[in-house]
Amino acid sequence: MSADVELQNVSVSFGNFYAAKNVSVKIEKGEFFSFLGPSGCGKTTLLRAISGFSDPSDGNILIGGQNMAGIGPNKRPTSLIFQNLALFPLMSVADNIAFSLEVRGSGKAERRKRADELLELVALSGQGDKKVHELSGGQRQRVAIARALAIEPEVLLLDEPLSALDLKLRQKMRTELREIQKRVGITFIYITHDQGEALTMSDRIAVMNQGELEQIGSCNSVYEAPNTPFVATFVGENNAFYGTISAVDGDMVNVSAIGNNFLAKAGDLGEGKKHTFKKNDEVIMFVRPESIFLKDQNNQADNIFTAAVKTVEFEGNLKNIYLNINEKQDVRCSVSNAVDTADLSNSKNVELKFSSRDAIVLPVGPLAVD
Amino acid sequence: MKSQQALNILLGIYIFIFFAYLFGPLVIMSITAFNSAEFPSVTPWECFSLRWFNEGKIAYDGQHLAGLATDWRLHEGLITSLQIGLGVVLLSVPIGLSAALVLTQVHSRFRTAFYSISIMPVLFPGVIIGISTVVLWDRIATMGGGGFATELGRNGIFLTILAQTCFISTYCFLIFVARLQRFDQTQEEAALDLGASQTQVFFKILIPYLMPAIASSCVIAFLASFENYNTTVFSILSDQTLTTVIASKVRLGISPAISALALVIILITLAVTITYEILRRREDKKKKKLAAEALFAQTQDSRLLRNGKSTSTIPKSIFVIIFIIIICIFGFNKLVEKGLYGSVCIATKEQEKQSNFAEQLKLLQNNAEVAGQTSSENGEADEKKEYDDIFGDPNLFKNFGGFDAKEEEEQGTSD
Amino acid sequence: MNYFFNKNGPLISTYLLISIGFWIVFLIVIPQLYMLDLSFRPNIPPLLRGGPDDVYTLVHYKHFLFGSETSGESYNYVDIGVFLDTILTAILITLINLCFCYPIAFYIAKVASPNTARLLIVSLIIPFWINELLRSFALRILFAGEGFINNVLIKLGVIDTGINFIAMDVALYTGLNYAYILLMIFPLYNAIETLDKNQLEAAEDLGSSMIRTHFRIVIPHAKAGIASGCTMVFMLTAGALATPVVLSSPNTFWFTQLIYQWFNMNDNWPRGAAYSIVLLSVSVVFVLLMMRIFKVKIGEIVR
Repeated sequence: MSADVELQNVSVSFGNFYAAKNVSVKIEKGEFFSFLGPSGCGKTTLLRAISGFSDPSDGNILIGGQNMAGIGPNKRPTSLIFQNLALFPLMSVADNIAFSLEVRGSGKAERRKRADELLELVALSGQGDKKVHELSGGQRQRVAIARALAIEPEVLLLDEPLSALDLKLRQKMRTELREIQKRVGITFIYITHDQGEALTMSDRIAVMNQGELEQIGSCNSVYEAPNTPFVATFVGENNAFYGTISAVDGDMVNVSAIGNNFLAKAGDLGEGKKHTFKKNDEVIMFVRPESIFLKDQNNQADNIFTAAVKTVEFEGNLKNIYLNINEKQDVRCSVSNAVDTADLSNSKNVELKFSSRDAIVLPVGPLAVD
Repeated sequence: MKSQQALNILLGIYIFIFFAYLFGPLVIMSITAFNSAEFPSVTPWECFSLRWFNEGKIAYDGQHLAGLATDWRLHEGLITSLQIGLGVVLLSVPIGLSAALVLTQVHSRFRTAFYSISIMPVLFPGVIIGISTVVLWDRIATMGGGGFATELGRNGIFLTILAQTCFISTYCFLIFVARLQRFDQTQEEAALDLGASQTQVFFKILIPYLMPAIASSCVIAFLASFENYNTTVFSILSDQTLTTVIASKVRLGISPAISALALVIILITLAVTITYEILRRREDKKKKKLAAEALFAQTQDSRLLRNGKSTSTIPKSIFVIIFIIIICIFGFNKLVEKGLYGSVCIATKEQEKQSNFAEQLKLLQNNAEVAGQTSSENGEADEKKEYDDIFGDPNLFKNFGGFDAKEEEEQGTSD
Repeated sequence: MNYFFNKNGPLISTYLLISIGFWIVFLIVIPQLYMLDLSFRPNIPPLLRGGPDDVYTLVHYKHFLFGSETSGESYNYVDIGVFLDTILTAILITLINLCFCYPIAFYIAKVASPNTARLLIVSLIIPFWINELLRSFALRILFAGEGFINNVLIKLGVIDTGINFIAMDVALYTGLNYAYILLMIFPLYNAIETLDKNQLEAAEDLGSSMIRTHFRIVIPHAKAGIASGCTMVFMLTAGALATPVVLSSPNTFWFTQLIYQWFNMNDNWPRGAAYSIVLLSVSVVFVLLMMRIFKVKIGEIVR
């Protein structure tokens, strides 16, 4: 059984400092929802408020339609998986998992049965009698998940659970988590600063910055139609070209930037609307590295410009080409490893192209800091 | 560097002297426990004997010096000390624990103040704590008008438990604070999140974590209570603990029974320390083995397995112990040879002393008759002087050690 | 308060509040307050307490300073003498202890190898498992008229008759020194241990002499440890009872023995209380002084 979670204008403050400001979001039943943002953006605060460990200073939190104000964490239908897992070191794996049944007074046999069920669910059958410190990082992860699922909460909250794992394990766990969620069917609320994680696992993402919600949407929309420069640069890599509007034509605009005139799309404002611009507005035009092509690549493009090559970086499946225009503007272009870049030597001037459908124009605003 | 070497040698000598200073008195004291002489000494060596551990000495001069096994006062004191120790542990461990918990929860503004108050008892001189407890409860007792409060307020054991709890709680407090500092708060939160009530969190998560601290608090509290004197001597009123009995021996007479007691305590301490060290080493080995296994599980590297060759090492200390035993046996044989051991030796020495004493007694009586004819003012002083000559240091009879001071004087040496 | 009850649950909260309340109020504060109060009351039999004679008075404190009304002297030289003697001796012994223990602490902390250090620490602790009284007895056996030291000296022909170490207070001083070595060494050791050895090597490299290194680098760093050690040793020495009982001569009286006398032999509890307050005040003043001079907080002083 799962429930929906609704935050209505929730603010959490500590003294004068607002960790979360006026956040409103409705998370659907059975959804895999992620809060994405850099450290300090308030996502952990929200998670703890939903769990019941801190009270919102303003606004309401409803789970399954019921207001959670005044209800302690041990009485809410939520389970939280902590960033450090918080497994009980003095108990065995099975005891850890069955803890929530133990505190409700279940008998030994029943607890053992449930523990075995869950061990099977997370592919750890037979490990029940081991102590926590005897397990590897990935195994402990799964014990934490099993423990949290033991009493079938309506909402599972996960606080950056994969950040301590190495890359391969993380990728494997991502898929596993998604599968477990689909199988169990409960609402997952996941917080992370790694947009790769958020994009691969979630149904919807909420991007947060400094306590405020920047954008909520599906993975696609957040990636391809960012509403603010912060989202555009935080989710995935993006090239930012500062310029001014030279002409407006419905949803398309002409932008004068880096000495050229480009045709681009007006960015989304959210809720189906688009930003509106006037001539001479200061804007930023965003083009993703994978949308910039070398001149002789076989892709349609209606925008062309020249840049000097700085370095070519090999990343395995991609190659990142770093270029520079007039020592002022950095440009990054990503091509598949299959593309031949042997002739791209330092300082060579090359022509690059991109399509206007891939260029998004947004009003000037703060970018995500690296 | 020559000066560096010289300095190091100097430092080494200094340390040697230091430890000689530290251990010397104890070693000498231990040796005196085996000398049958009445005053603990190494020279002159009368006989090697175990009398001070057992029956003590029934004196030819009317002065009975009890040995460990027969000293009823010591036994009573021991039992009282144990009772008090138990009471103190039962009180101060929970108090120390709650103070440590509250410290972690109190608002940061009050934290220093609260910590300072909790530390205060240790900064009071022990005598002050004992006195203040007695004084307060005496008042309560008088106000109680004969009822239970009066009984309680004049009960030495009750008062001592209270007085010692006052500052021993601080020791426990410090131990718990140290252990709590490394406590992972998220475990409590995880337990709550999983549905546990606060009480359940306390008993299922916190207490298990604190078990080592609870154990060491109990031990420290008991030991601190057992060996306490300054506070106890005031609060114990008409009872006696082991320490007050020992202190009263200053007045009753120093005999090697005290050395025997000290040696027994030293041996117990050593035994406990060695056992603890052995157990700890075993624990460490076990932990290392487990960690290696966990590592193996993760990395599947067979090279790690090679480390686990069985280590049934015989600790080197066994050889030292065997050496000591050999020396003891050898020495023992020598002693028996020279007739320095056993009741035979004691009997001979006693005869010697007895005859000496008889002579001196005759001398004394003669002098007393002569002196009795001189002025009475001097008489007392003379007698006292001769009394001193025979019985040694008059300071032995100084009036300190316990409430039964006056009683003892009357009872004299007739036990 | 609500927050407190919420966090701990009703059962545990009650336990916490009761135990702390009992401890702080009943065992710490009230007895001291009562003793303070008692020190200002005259020494009257229990039946007359609460009656008209029971007024606040300074008679006991006056006695401490000025002596009884019947004596001819202007000041209570005996009692004040004992008091000053105790305090000054305590200070002296603290200093001796400090000088005595500093090299050892330094050696264990910085010079010895880790294994040696551990062995040394364990062997330091062992003597202190023995009761202070028994340790004092051991010294008494050594120093007594027919004790070990005298016997050896006579045998060696150095002296003819036994030296009365006890009357000379040598025994007492040694005993007091001996008693609290552990409490001086450990704070020193802990403080010196945290000093980065590289600093010492750097100093040596720059040409500093041993003495200068110690005075300019080690000692300032170990300041908290020194304060802690000195405070504990002073307070335990000033308030010592066990060792003076065993080792003092008829000529020396320790202030605590004086208090004991008022209580048990003269049955004058209020006066004993007054003298106790005097002792307590000195301890408190000393602690505050140390905290001020060395600029340490109270938390750093206690082990």
